[in-house]
Amino acid sequence: MNCEVCNLKELEVEHYEIREVLRCVLHTIIFHRALGLVRPKEIDLELFEITYVQCGDPEVEKKIEEKIEQFIGWVEKHPNKKSQICLSFYEVKNKHGSWFSKQIEQLHWEHWYINLNVAQQPKVQSVKSHNSKVVDTGENNLEDRSIRRAALEASLRDVLFQIIRFVNDKKEHVPPIPNREGVISFPYEIILPSSSDSAFGMDMIKRMLQTGHPTMLS
Amino acid sequence: MASSHSDSAKMEQIITEFFAKSLHIILESRSPCISSRNFSGEHIVSSPSSSSSSSSSVRPRDKWFNLALRECPEALENLDFWHQSNLEPMVVDVVLVKRVINWDPANFYPKAELFRNLSSKEVYSNCWNSDQEELGNGRSEKIIERWIVQYEARKAKDAGKGSKRSSSNVLSSIYKKSILLLRSLYLTVRLLPAYKIFRDLNLTGQIRSFSLAHRVSSFVEPFTRREEAEMQRFGFAPVDTSSGRLCLSVLYRSSLSDVSSEASTPMSPQLIPDYVGSPLADPLKRFPSLPVSRGSPSSLPFSRRHSWSFDHYRASPPSMTFSPSPTHSEPYASASNPSSSRFPPPGLPPHPPEVSHAHKYNANFDEYYPSPTFSPSPSPSPPIYVPGSRLSGALLRSESAPINIHATKFLNSPTFFKNQNLPPSPPLKGTRYGPSMADKSMYPSRDSATVDKMSFVGRDDIGRPSGLKIPSESSANISYSRSSCRSFPDDFDESEYTCAFDVDEDDVTDPGSRADLFDKRRHVHDPLQSGSFMPIRKSQGAAVGALVDMLKKAPPLHQDVSNLATASQASGSETWSNTFHEYCQTPKSISAQDGTSSVASSAFLASKTTADALEELKGYKEMKNLLLSQGGTSRSRSVTNHAAAVESADEGTVKF
Repeated sequence: MNCEVCNLKELEVEHYEIREVLRCVLHTIIFHRALGLVRPKEIDLELFEITYVQCGDPEVEKKIEEKIEQFIGWVEKHPNKKSQICLSFYEVKNKHGSWFSKQIEQLHWEHWYINLNVAQQPKVQSVKSHNSKVVDTGENNLEDRSIRRAALEASLRDVLFQIIRFVNDKKEHVPPIPNREGVISFPYEIILPSSSDSAFGMDMIKRMLQTGHPTMLS
Repeated sequence: MASSHSDSAKMEQIITEFFAKSLHIILESRSPCISSRNFSGEHIVSSPSSSSSSSSSVRPRDKWFNLALRECPEALENLDFWHQSNLEPMVVDVVLVKRVINWDPANFYPKAELFRNLSSKEVYSNCWNSDQEELGNGRSEKIIERWIVQYEARKAKDAGKGSKRSSSNVLSSIYKKSILLLRSLYLTVRLLPAYKIFRDLNLTGQIRSFSLAHRVSSFVEPFTRREEAEMQRFGFAPVDTSSGRLCLSVLYRSSLSDVSSEASTPMSPQLIPDYVGSPLADPLKRFPSLPVSRGSPSSLPFSRRHSWSFDHYRASPPSMTFSPSPTHSEPYASASNPSSSRFPPPGLPPHPPEVSHAHKYNANFDEYYPSPTFSPSPSPSPPIYVPGSRLSGALLRSESAPINIHATKFLNSPTFFKNQNLPPSPPLKGTRYGPSMADKSMYPSRDSATVDKMSFVGRDDIGRPSGLKIPSESSANISYSRSSCRSFPDDFDESEYTCAFDVDEDDVTDPGSRADLFDKRRHVHDPLQSGSFMPIRKSQGAAVGALVDMLKKAPPLHQDVSNLATASQASGSETWSNTFHEYCQTPKSISAQDGTSSVASSAFLASKTTADALEELKGYKEMKNLLLSQGGTSRSRSVTNHAAAVESADEGTVKF
C-alpha cells in the first residue's frame, strides 16, 4: 500500500490565529478519515467566515486540542520559524517476529503536512529571519491586520478545498474500513515540529518506541 | 450468480441511497429553517452519549454512508417527488429569490435615471439580468447553484472490468469511496458562497428581501453561455462502479455580493410621500374599458372620456376629479412597457404600486422631459409643454376642458386645417398626445408628458363615441393634426376613438375622418398611431413641443376660440367651446383640478424657453405630487399655489 502525502499550502498566521486555523484544518482532515458513523458537528470560526465540520468524537477533539496547545508552546519557544505539523494515518499491523510474540508495526498510508508561518508578534521586533513579519506602528496595524486576515481566510479556504480535492482524487490508498464501532476508523497521530537542533527529536524516539522494537529500547 | 444478483441489487441500492444522501446533504444546508438543530455554530460540547449512543438513536437512513444527518423533510419530499430511476440525473437548483416589495420607489428612482437616454428596452435589459426571471409579482429568481448528481452507466462490454475482484471487495470499495465523496460534499456545501446566505436566512429573524428556494428535477434548461461564464464548476471525483460511475458536480456563482449587501439591510416600513389614493375610491379614476394591456395608455383615455366629457365639464369643472392615479399609472405604464411584468397592467385604476406610480410617473416625466425630440411635431418643439405634460396625467383628468381648448387652438391653426380636414379641435392634440404617450415607453426621448395628457383625454373619448376630449394640453403637437391623427388610426375601435379635434363631430366618432387625420401624418410614434390612444406612449415632450410650436404659429387665441366654437358641430362642442372660453378667461380660477389645466395652458406659451419649461415641469410635478398626496381639500391649496407660481411665469398669453 502506498503512502500518499499531501503538502498543504502554507498559511501565514498570527499567533492568536493559530488555534482556529489548526482546529479547522485538523478537524477537516480527520472528518474525511473518520469513516465510522458520524454525526457531523458544524463549527463556525470566530475569526473567519468559515464553517468547518468536526466528526463529533470528543476524544478526537480532546486530542487535537492538546496538540494545538503543545504546538503553541513550541512556537513561543521557537519564534520566527516555519513550522510543520504532520497528521498521519497508519495501519497497525501485527508483525510476527521470528522469536517475538508480536510486533506492532505502524504502516503509514497517508501523511498530511500542515505548513504554518507564524507571524512575529508585534512586540517582538526581529529582522533575523525572512519569516519575520515586523508589525508597523499602530497606525497601520489594524489595516495590515485586516488585510492579512482576509488573505489568511482566502488561504484557509484554499487549503480546505485542497484537502477536499486530495481526498477525492486519491481514494485507492485508503484501507478498507474496519468493521468496528466508533467514529475513527483509522488510527492517526499528530506530529509536531521538533527542535531544529535536535537531530532525532522526541517524536522520532517516540516513534521508535511505538514500533516496539526491543532493540531500540536500550 | 445469486451473489452477482445480490451484488447488483446492493449496488443499485447504494446508488439509490447515494442520490438520497446527496440530496439530503445539499438541501440540509440550502433550505432555510428546515433543520431543528441549532445552527448558531456555537461550540457544542458533544456529550459522550452523542456518539456512543448514536447507534441507538440513528435512523436507519442515517447509517447509510455512516453519515447521520439532521432531519430534512424537504429532502425527503423532494426525493419522493423526484424519484426516478438511477439512470436519470438529479439536478438540484438552488435559487435565490429576491423580492421587490411594494415597488419601493427607492428601487426605481435609480432606474429612472437610466431611462433618460436609453430606450425602454435598453433600460430594462440593463436593469435585469437575462438569467433572472422576472415575475409579475415583483420577484426575481436567480439560480446560484446547480448540483448535478448522476449515475453514468457504463456500456455492457465494459462492465466486466472489475469482475476479477471479489464482488464483496468491490462493493466495499465502492461504498467506501461513496462515503468519502459524501464527506467531501458535506464540507463543500458549507464552503460555497450560498451557505452564507443560508445561514443568514436561518439565523436572523429579520425580514429579508431575498430567500432561498430549490428545485429538484431530472432535466433542466441548461445555462446560457453568459450564465455559465459567471459560474464556477467544482466536480467531485466520480466513484467507479462495475457498471458505471457516480458523478457529482456543482455549478455555483462565486460572487453573491449583491445579496450579502442586502442582507444587512432589513426591510423597514417606509412612508410613501406621494401616495395616491386607490382609484377604487374614486370612480372617476377608473378606466373601465381599457382593452389595452399593459403599458397601454389607452386605458386612460377611456376613463378620460368619462371625465372629460363635455357634459361633465359643463356641469362642473370641479367635478372633474383630479385623479392622479390614472395619470400616474398611465405614464408609468407606458414607461414600464418593456418591463410589464413588473408592473400591474396599466389599467390605471389599480394602484398597487401607487407610490411607484407616482414615482414612476415622475420618472417618466423626467425621462421625457429633457428630450428635445418631440417627435410628433415636425419642428422641434420646445419643452415648454413639458411641465404641463408632466402633470398631464394628473391634469388631464380634471382639466380636460382646457386641454381641449389647447388642442383646439392648435387645431384651429390654419396650417392644420389645411393639411387635413380635421376640424380644429383640441382633442386632436389630445389624441396626438395619446399616441405620443404610448410611444413614450418606446421612445423615452419623446414628450411623454404631452402624450400623457393627450392620452388621458383621448382615452376618455375612446370609450365612447363622443367627441374626443383629448386634452389640448398635448398642445405641443402643432403638427398634431397630421401626426396625431395619424397616430390614432386603428388600434382603438375607430368608432370609439373620437379625435379630440373633431370638433365637428364632437361626440361623434368619425373613423373616417379620424383615419384621414391620422393617416395624414404618420407620426413617428407609429405604435401609438395605431389608433389606440396609447397616448401615453407618445412622448409628452414631443407633444409639448408640438403644441408650443402650434402656439407660436397659431393665431390669437380669441380668434381660435371663436373658430373653434364655430367649428364645433357636435352638441358637446358648444359646451366645449364654452368651457374653452371659460378656461381662457379664468385660468386661475381653475380650482383643484383646474389648476392643472391652467398650468397646462401656461405651459403652452411658446415663448417659454426650454429652461423655463423645465422649471414649469418641475413645478407641475411637484404640484401633481402634492395633489396626489394631499387629497382634495389640500389640492386647491397646492394647486392654487402652483397655479400662481405658474402664472407668474406665464406671460399671460395663454388663456385657455
